Amino acid sequence: MGGASRNEKRRRQDAAAQRLAAAGIQVPPKKGPNRTTMIVAAVLAVVVVVGLAVWFVRGSAGTSVAPTYTASASGAVVTVGSGPVVVDVYEDYLCPICERFEERYGADLTTALNANQITVRYHSIAILDNRTTPEGYSTRAANAALCSVDAGIFPAYHEKLFDSQPAEGSAGLTDDELVAFGTELDAQGDFASCVTGATNAKAVTAETDKATSDSALQTDGRFGTPTVAIGGKKIDINNSDWLQDAIGG
Amino acid sequence: MQRDRVLDIVGTLARLGLAAVWLISGGLKALDPDQTYVAVRAYDVLPPDGVGVVATLLPWVEIALGVLLLTGVGTRLVAGLSAGLLAVFVAGVVQAWARGLSIDCGCFGGGGAVAPGETAYLEELLRDTGFIALAAWLIVRPRTLFALDSRLNHDLPAGTGRRS
Repeated sequence: MGGASRNEKRRRQDAAAQRLAAAGIQVPPKKGPNRTTMIVAAVLAVVVVVGLAVWFVRGSAGTSVAPTYTASASGAVVTVGSGPVVVDVYEDYLCPICERFEERYGADLTTALNANQITVRYHSIAILDNRTTPEGYSTRAANAALCSVDAGIFPAYHEKLFDSQPAEGSAGLTDDELVAFGTELDAQGDFASCVTGATNAKAVTAETDKATSDSALQTDGRFGTPTVAIGGKKIDINNSDWLQDAIGG
Repeated sequence: MQRDRVLDIVGTLARLGLAAVWLISGGLKALDPDQTYVAVRAYDVLPPDGVGVVATLLPWVEIALGVLLLTGVGTRLVAGLSAGLLAVFVAGVVQAWARGLSIDCGCFGGGGAVAPGETAYLEELLRDTGFIALAAWLIVRPRTLFALDSRLNHDLPAGTGRRS
């Protein structure tokens, strides 16, 4: 709409207002916020309040439970707990969805492990080595996590690596930082040289090759992390009852 | 009046188009909250709690804007809010591009880091610019057909309310 026609419209409106005034009709001036503004504000307020409530509830559900189970490593697989239902978890320490998985289900898994309901086999996978500069954080972190088993601190170290997960595209955590986490958690034995010496790197590569070529772990012909399998069969972790179903069934 | 009619129809299409954008983008984000968290985090702007809050709220705010536009409630105000939110998205993409991050915008679900050669910043910005254009039309000329605005506001000045 051009300026000319806008002025024309304004002039006509003014003229109309003058005619109304001449006829003794007063148009009340608009006052306060109108109804639609209130409706829009109310809808958005409800959304924000409900959203924040959901966020707080979900956040408090993720409070950590102290693990009481033991861990042992074989190759690049860490076995924890000794319950009857065996849950295979495939994780890459750089994978952001794996961090989400741990945030959402970590406490549930720990509770079920403490209650001796499940055994979890954590498969150390490195499929995102090329997502850091320099490359290789996934393998270094997986190696350090395996080192932490012998150092007697696996559950806490595993959690720590996800809590401190670096961003994809970053440099990742340095070996010094990986060692420092262990020291913080009171690692036993020669943890530092296990981390810096890449003691388990070959095992991680072998486990990664094995997992990525296992068609039972694929969706649409692709392997990704996190992958959870029970009885060798991949399950849908978007179904938030998957763990209860596995324990119950 | 023929010209007004055409402008009403264009405005209606803009309103419904922008509503569809918000409903689809918000719906896809709401269906996959973990992916949404990852997408927000990948912009590398907010601290972890901030990422949590934004990732939780964003899908529902988008859906709310979509519903308000679909029903035509407070069209000018909602178009203004839409333009504001889109401007924030544009700023996010621009800062990611400028800093050399390689991420997917996660505009319609998905999101997170991608391989360096797979970014699509220009396309994402052009798309957002198009959406802002729809919002801009509605800010300038909010009158549309089939909008609840015309039933809710009897006291609007001529040209923005119901045609009598």
